[in-house]
Formats: sequence, structure tokens, C-alpha cells
Amino acid sequence: MPTPFDGAPGASRGGSPPRATRRDVLGLAALGLIGSAASPAHAAAPAGQLTIGVHISLAPTWFDPAETAGIITPFLVMYALHDAMLKPMPGQNPAPCLAESWSATDDGSVYDFVLRQGVTFHNGEPVTAEDVKFSFERYRGTEHATMKERVASIEIVDPRHVRFNLKAPWPDFVTFYSSATGAGWIVPKKYVEKVGDDGFKRAPIGAGPYKFVSFNPGVELIFEAHDQYWRKTPGVKRIVMRVIPDESTRLAALKRGEIDIALSIRAELAEEVQNTPGLTLKAPVGSAPYWMYFPEQWDPKSPWHDVRVRRAARLAIDTKSINQALTLGFSHLTNSAFPENFEFYWQPPPPVYDPEQARRLLAEAGFPNGFDAGTYTCDSAYANLGEAGLDNLGAVGIRVRLRPLERASFFAGFGDKKFRNIIQGASGAFGNLATRLEAFVVKGGTYAYGNYPELDDLFAQQASELDRAKRQELLFKMQQIVHEKAIYAPIWQLAFISGVGPRVAQSSFGLIKGFVYPAPYEELALKGA
Amino acid sequence: MKQFILRRLGYSLLSLFVLSLTIFFFVRVTGDPATLLVEPGASDADIAAIHHQFGLDRPLIVQYLLFMGNLARGDLGQSFYYQMPVSELYLSRLPNSLLLAAVAMSFSLLVGIPTGMLAAVRVGTFWDSAGKLFTLLGLSLPSFFVGLLMILFFSVYLGWLPSSGSGTALHLIMPAFALGWYFAAAHMRLMRSAMLEVLGSEYIKLARLKGLPQALVIGKHALKNALTPVLTLAGINLVLMINVAVIVETVFAWPGVGRLLYEGVSFRDFPVVQGVVILGGIMIIAVNLLVDILYAVIDPRIRLET
Repeated sequence: MPTPFDGAPGASRGGSPPRATRRDVLGLAALGLIGSAASPAHAAAPAGQLTIGVHISLAPTWFDPAETAGIITPFLVMYALHDAMLKPMPGQNPAPCLAESWSATDDGSVYDFVLRQGVTFHNGEPVTAEDVKFSFERYRGTEHATMKERVASIEIVDPRHVRFNLKAPWPDFVTFYSSATGAGWIVPKKYVEKVGDDGFKRAPIGAGPYKFVSFNPGVELIFEAHDQYWRKTPGVKRIVMRVIPDESTRLAALKRGEIDIALSIRAELAEEVQNTPGLTLKAPVGSAPYWMYFPEQWDPKSPWHDVRVRRAARLAIDTKSINQALTLGFSHLTNSAFPENFEFYWQPPPPVYDPEQARRLLAEAGFPNGFDAGTYTCDSAYANLGEAGLDNLGAVGIRVRLRPLERASFFAGFGDKKFRNIIQGASGAFGNLATRLEAFVVKGGTYAYGNYPELDDLFAQQASELDRAKRQELLFKMQQIVHEKAIYAPIWQLAFISGVGPRVAQSSFGLIKGFVYPAPYEELALKGA
Repeated sequence: MKQFILRRLGYSLLSLFVLSLTIFFFVRVTGDPATLLVEPGASDADIAAIHHQFGLDRPLIVQYLLFMGNLARGDLGQSFYYQMPVSELYLSRLPNSLLLAAVAMSFSLLVGIPTGMLAAVRVGTFWDSAGKLFTLLGLSLPSFFVGLLMILFFSVYLGWLPSSGSGTALHLIMPAFALGWYFAAAHMRLMRSAMLEVLGSEYIKLARLKGLPQALVIGKHALKNALTPVLTLAGINLVLMINVAVIVETVFAWPGVGRLLYEGVSFRDFPVVQGVVILGGIMIIAVNLLVDILYAVIDPRIRLET
């Protein structure tokens, strides 16, 4: 029998009875409208225009959830234009959105979703189970093969009730459906079939808080408020996303009031925002931890094979000072190579900066005078972090040369396992701890240069474990081993710094944990509106 | 004459072929576009799906032949990033680049010609030195530096002009100046040297001996002859301006083809880079061909020598 739950925070997935904690209640209070009927909370009409200076060219593929790539940037648009059955929201991940409630059988092989009543797309058509099924079946974005392989069939029980039958129990189904893919973001079947995929990208229709108005590719995208949005009537009538590639120009536009929000302002210019009256900085922390990786730790002839050397490298990095210098202290210092906001995250001890201890460890490992450690390879966009790391390592005797590579070349070389010595990397890939471990730690992982058998064993066990508590225990153990073996030397979870102008009352930055763009859009507000 | 034109046409087509080969292969050396469309940690299946979608899993020679076949039909392919025809993207941006280039060219001629004339007529004086300084700065200061300085002063400090974007005549001023200064410097130098050469010629000496006013000697007799090489260069530079304004368009967020090229390079959007470079190449080669033919028409010695 399915175990029903209305998406209350703390409710478990895969069969255990729901439990509500005090944090859950507070979370629900913060959410306010979650679980309520589909009527906007505010009846006040949207007003005003808010302009966002965007750092990256806007692509029409972002208008179509079916083509969601495994990067965060499409969600800048998707949170405005579309809505999902479940998605990360303030205080809850995942939160029921188009789905009013969902339930799963004890063995996690059947998932039932009940749609919220009265929700419509921008063209007035109701959101139905047909649209949910259609949206899943047409999904061809990141991890679509995984989703399609694991879902046996989708039943339309009634117009508001859809059932996913899995081929086998899959504990991560909700993670993948709600945040690791775009399969749960719903588009209108009749409209898409009428206009086709290309037509849909030219004039997209969704169920989100904002309607598409116009798009000049690479230049400007305009939305208007969807007054009948189920959760809340948006406060701002019109949102304009204007592409301004150059950071200094974006800042100038913000200072002149030509834009209200300037995305992606880095440290040197961020100080300028801090020093300008009327402007504020917002710096939500994303889901991308940065770390140093030691690809030679499996080579007995390499100094990196000795765990003391790796621990010495970890102790040598003054992350606090680097954070202050490069991101004005906004990044989150971490001792884990995995995102804190991910499901099954294990909290390690806090990071420690101790160059003296680092030197002692190196001496114990047989390197009292340090050693020449070759190259420190990194994405050139973060060469400034590499330079700081290089200096810190050099101070304890680990002498390296910086080798910054252009992004595509860096990730290609990383994945092809061409790099040696030290690699500075990061990942913002969607998923949960299991998916991250699979790619970066476990044997055969795209970016795993070697493996430890005990970790592989634990990973295999957790993959088939349906009991959430037991699975968590296994994943915690894996993270503990990663920490003890110093497979990675974590640096930080990067803060994405943006500037906000004086007209903005609520910028929506930081409302959704791990999401670096303004969202939910219906929360945006202008002063005096 | 016919043989001359055919020969020149042949060289032009050969140049285009070499250009297509070069840009096709060099753009692929830059890396895999799929890696920029996924986060590290993405599955091999996701990356393979992107390769298949873009036809990048085909052998390189097959890709090239398809590219050339489509090019012959006027099809520049589909942008990887924008998922729309490159020709559509290009044509939507071209009018903006033409407008910017026209204004920048007007500025470069309105400044370059008079200052070149003045420097030549007042050679060795303060005006000549001022002209040389103008030229030196115009040729050596990078356009992005000029652009950012202008934004700082005229937009942020003085608040006179919008910092970026397009839409009004005010939006044009700074990018046109940043783009046009380099060419104004080039036109000024050429004008100066052409004027000096003309002012030293026998017919000018005769005009002065005849007692014609200095203004008439310079403004009518000397200027007309000195202008020819400058206008020739200006015609070629106009086409260059349309295609090389990458930095200026990016700094000022001007929606032109230069910025489109920047976006294509940033995202490893092979069809966009190929399309913009090929179309730019066609423009430049066509203008050079036209100039060669016109020269041959004006001066028969050229077509006989070649």
C-alpha cells in the first residue's frame, strides 16, 4: 500500500511513517502556503518592472524543461517560466508544487502524485495528469536515459492523479524527478503537440509565476506576471533579463540604475558594490564545493600515496584568508568535498589551518624539506584560487607550478585522466551524495583516478538499500573514509556574488538553499510597489 | 579584362575554401562543446547524447563535407547553444553591426581627414604633434580599455550616457568612438602622408605660382587627390569594422555579430563561429575583389601586369 504524505518536511520517502519535528513545523510556517489550495495568497496586482543584468547568454533550450542540461543556469529561467511537480523551495527540498501530495509504496517501486486543484498554464489550460505523463515521456535532458530505464510505466489514474511504476525499487527516484533532472517540470501537452518543439521554444508556455513575452536571442528576455499563479500573485509585473557579458559594464549599469540586479560580480568589483550607498551584495552559496584532488595517491612511488602528505596539504591551505580575499568572506568554508545541502550529507569536523602541523606531517612522511610536487592544474576561471593555494602549499614546502587551463580543456583533461600531481576542481552537478560519490570516488567514476575497495563495497551496498536510515549510515561511512584518507582537500562551497540596486525590496537571493539565482520569482518585490 | 576578373575570382574562391578548412578544423581544436553544456560528474551517456545531437560523433571528414554541402546551399547550420539557424541569428545581429560600423566610420573620417590635412599643412608644428599623439593613442590603446574608461567617466561619474545596450542614439556614442578611434588614427596617418605627397607635387606648385588662394589649393586641388587612398582604405575598413568589433560589442553589450562571435567562442558553438567567420570572410574577400577590379578598370597597367 502506498504511504501517503503531503510533502511535509521530515516525512520519509520509501515507506517509513512520517515524523514532524519542531524544525518541520517552523519550516512549514516559513513556507506559508505549501499544501494550500490553488489560490494566490496576495490579491494585489503586480506592478513595476525589475531588470536583471545577466552574465551569460540566454539560450532558448532553457525555455524547455525537456532539454534541461545538468547545469544550474537553465533554472534561472525555469523558475520564472515553469513549475514542477516537486522542486527545491524555501525551507524544503523537495517541496510539493504542482503536486499537492505524493506517496510511495513501502518498497519504493510505485509513486503516486496528486495534482493541485485549479492550477492552469499561462494559456488557461488546466494542468492535468496527461501533461505530467507527456512531460516525462518527452524529457531528453540530463540523465534521461537513467529515468527512462527505471520507470516501467506511467498510469493516469484520473485527471489529477498520476502513478509512476518503477521497474525496480529506486530510492533516488524523487531526487532525480524533483531536482536532478527536468523530467518533473510540466509543460502543456496540447500546446506542445500543436506547435512542435521548435515552436515551443519560440513561444514557451508554462505554469510558472511568469509568462513569456519576448526573447531576442543572446540579448534580452522579457516576462510578465502570471496573475493566477497558484502559490502567490507575483509582486513585480514585468521582469527583463538583459545580457551584459562584461562584469565591469554590469556593475556600471547597476550603479546607474539601468538594471536592478547584476548577477555575478566578483570580489574586486564586489567591494565597489559594498562601498556604494544604496547598493547591496547578495552572496548565496551554491552546491559546488571546490577542492584539491590528488590523482597520484594510488601510486606507491608518489609522495601523495602517503596519507600524511595529503593531510599536510589539507592543513596548509588558509581557506579563511583566501575566502576573505577572493569572495569577501561569503563562501562557505567546508571540510567536505560534497555539498552541504545535499541529501545524505555527513558533517565533518571543521576545517583546520595549521601549517606547522603540515610541516610535521611532511617530515614524518620523509619530506622534512618538502618536495617538488609538479603541477597544480585548474580551470583558468579560478586561477586566482589556484595562485593562493599554490602559495600556501609552497609555504609548507610543497612546491608546485600553476597550470591554468581553459574550462573545456580542463574538464576534458580531467575526465580523460590526463592530469597529475594536484588538480583543483569543483562540481555543481545535480543529484545527491550517492551520485556525487559515484562520479568522483567510486571505481569507474568519470573523475575518479583510482579507488579504494572498501568504498566500492559500501557504494554497492547503499545502491540496493531501501531503508533510508541504513542507506544514510552507509553513505555517512563512505564520506568519513573519504575524509580520513584525505582523498580530497576541500576548500569551500563557492558563494555566487550579485549586486542589488536600491529599488529592490526583496531580491529572492538565498531563499532556496544551494540555489544561487533569485528564486522563487513570485517573492520578488520592489520598494513602494 | 575578363581573364583578369576570372583569375581574381578564382583566387577569391580559393581563399574562401582555405578559410573554411581553417576555421572548421581550428574551431574543433579548441575543445569539446559538450563539456560546457554539462557539469563535471555528468554521465558518459549524457555527453554521448550531446555528441550525437550535434553530429559530433561522425568522422571529421564527414562533418566537413556536410558543412561544405550545406554552405553551398546557403545553410550555415544550427547553433548548438541557441538551437536555431545560424543565418537567422546572424541576420538578426547584422543590422546592429552595420549601424555601429557606419557611425564609427563616419566618426573616423570626420576626425581622421581634417586632422590629417591639418597635420600635413602644418607639418612640424604643434598641430602635427597633436595629430601624431592622437594617432599613437588610437593605434595603441586597446578598445576594451577605452570603452571601460568611457563607461566609467561618461556613464558612472557624469551620468551623461547609458553604459550599455542599444535602442537610442545615445547608446551609439561610446561604442562608436571606442571602435572608430583606431580607424580614425589610421585614416589620419594615411591622409597626412597622402597630403604631404600631393602638396609636394608639381601641379600644386603650379597652382601656387598661378596665385591661387591657399584654401583653394589645399581644399580643392590637393584634397581631391589625397582623398583617393583614404577612401579606398575606408571602404575596406568598413567591412573590417563590421566583423572585428568583438571586444567593443562585448564591453558595451551591443547586440552585433562581433558579440555573436564572442558567444560562439565562449560556448564552443562551432556552427556560429564557422558561420560568422565565413560570412565575414566573404564580405572582406568580396570588397577586396571589387577594389581590385575597380583599380584594374581605372588603371589598365594593373590588369596587364597581373
